Amino acid sequence: MQIINAIFALFYREYKITFRNFSDILAILLFFILGILIFVFSIGSNNEIFNQIGIGVIWTLLLLSNNLSLKKFYHDDFNDGSIIVMHMGGLSYELIVLIKIITTWIFVQCPFFLIIPIAAILLDIQINNIIYILVSFLIGSPILTSIASIAGSMNLLNNRNFTIGSLIIMVLSIPVIIFSVGIVNEAADLIKAQLNILLGILLLFLAITPWVSAVCIKLALQNK
Amino acid sequence: MKFLINPNRFNQMSDLILIPLIILTLLTLLIGLIFVFYLSPEDYQQGSTVRIMYVHVPSAWLAMLTFFIMTVYSIVGLAFKIPFSFIVNSAVAPIGAIFTLICLITGSLWGKPMWGTWWVWDARLTSVAILFIMYLIIIFLKKSFNNNDVGEKITAIFIIVGSINLPIIKFSVDWWNTLHQPATISKLSSPSIDASMMKPLIIMTISFTLIGLVTAFLRIKAEILERKLRN
Amino acid sequence: MLLVNNLSFKRNNNIIFHNISFSVGSKKIIHLTGKNGSGKTTLIKLLAQILLPSQGDIFWNGKKIKKNIFDFYKNTSLIMDTHSANLNLTIGENIFFWKKLSSSSINIKETNAILELLLLKQYINTPVGYLSRGEIKKLELSRLILEQKKLWVLDEPYSGLDESTIKLVNETFINHIDNSGMIVLSSHYLPQINNFESINLENYADY
Repeated sequence: MQIINAIFALFYREYKITFRNFSDILAILLFFILGILIFVFSIGSNNEIFNQIGIGVIWTLLLLSNNLSLKKFYHDDFNDGSIIVMHMGGLSYELIVLIKIITTWIFVQCPFFLIIPIAAILLDIQINNIIYILVSFLIGSPILTSIASIAGSMNLLNNRNFTIGSLIIMVLSIPVIIFSVGIVNEAADLIKAQLNILLGILLLFLAITPWVSAVCIKLALQNK
Repeated sequence: MKFLINPNRFNQMSDLILIPLIILTLLTLLIGLIFVFYLSPEDYQQGSTVRIMYVHVPSAWLAMLTFFIMTVYSIVGLAFKIPFSFIVNSAVAPIGAIFTLICLITGSLWGKPMWGTWWVWDARLTSVAILFIMYLIIIFLKKSFNNNDVGEKITAIFIIVGSINLPIIKFSVDWWNTLHQPATISKLSSPSIDASMMKPLIIMTISFTLIGLVTAFLRIKAEILERKLRN
Repeated sequence: MLLVNNLSFKRNNNIIFHNISFSVGSKKIIHLTGKNGSGKTTLIKLLAQILLPSQGDIFWNGKKIKKNIFDFYKNTSLIMDTHSANLNLTIGENIFFWKKLSSSSINIKETNAILELLLLKQYINTPVGYLSRGEIKKLELSRLILEQKKLWVLDEPYSGLDESTIKLVNETFINHIDNSGMIVLSSHYLPQINNFESINLENYADY
């Protein structure tokens, strides 16, 4: 069917573009590691403190690294008109948003599954907790990508104050960090409850993000 | 009811009502302050400082009410394409921001002598702080766009997405029982606050609402004029 | 068959144009012209359904375009003044993307022939970012032939092209018309072709 061809073509295109600019992804991962390093220097290499705040530090940096993917979503395709070409190829804007979120999640967030254990070991966090972090990151990272998509689509015509895109991401990501950091050091059923809430937030964002981002993209196209 | 969505009707209504409303506001404010300072009891534990509550609680309610009104108007404006809703949004956002700021500052001033700390990161304080930041983002976001139509629509979308914060504030006190005291006034059970404190609280709430309303009316009128000039 | 009926567009209470009507059938070229700001790009955006009109309707194959949008997109190639080739990908990768998107049945031989005609074949594995502006524009125009659609809608197709390419483009237009195609193009220049209908948007500015 034609749409399946178009969907495959867009996935393939995003994959090729990402790997043509792979240093971009590496830079985001490096930002994360550098952030951890800065925390180490600012707090002093006291292992006891890391045990307590290490997880929070990791999640904070995951959130901040998410900011860096803001422009990757729609800016290039919007400015050069290829998003219109994609739309005329039969892909609705919601579908384009969904595909972009999936590819950004795979290429930007998934490498963190390897980097987080490294950072956790550097911060002397126990293996149990590392597993908890990875589980909550599994649920939380698509939420972060969805938030970045919403913020990216809102800022397409923003030519004055681009920092506000990052502010939007940070404000909307606060519930994610509340419920993912709180998972560790809690009783077993509390962990389940918080994971369920996180799952609920994920489903909510997956439901609204394609629609919200598509509306913002259409709005931006009308006023270009 | 047309004055809720039509700028001309709104101007007509507000011209009629404004002066009586201002008088009513000053009156209720005066009565409320009399109640607060002379006719309300001192708290058993807190002494006179409890009277900050009569400013703190109404401004908290109004901070959330304003956000709720902005959310409703954002949905109406985007769904039914009513430009007046965006006028209301940009007029009312700074009012909500100031109420939130008053809530945070009075809460802080109340907290230091009473509970020994200017601030603590419990659920309710944190979510009100987030509410304040949301207001600021809303105000900044609208100004970041060269094209005003786009700016107000994107801001409306952000208000709707960000309104998820309101239920979290409302119920955070039930979910996490930490420093901030649990809700004393709820629909489901009779309030655990004494009637002598309830009266000034209600009067101050009414007067704050009226203050907010008068300021909103003035700002909306100014916004309508500004748009007429721009076109 | 594209029918535009009494189309009007307002922006911020300023009327850009009012009551435009025209039809585009097989073997027809519509040339939109007018000074800067007269609404040429706006009209193109209205045709592409990026903007909605303040008044009037557009019909595609007898139905309102809003209800027939998939059929419209399936049969239309849109070339705007921006260059939709991604600068990070090679010409070959961009062409692959466009072909898949439009499910065009053009084969590799024909593709290579077009690229040779446009003097782009040697760059087939070069990232588009390395090409000159004119070459990127030529690549954009090659989409018209690659996508094999019936209706071509173009905004300022001649801008930035050298004389031989302009001649090539005009020949392509004539070829397309002879094969029962339809073209709507906006341009300051009068196309060096025979047989087109010119619409000056300045005539529709005030009513």
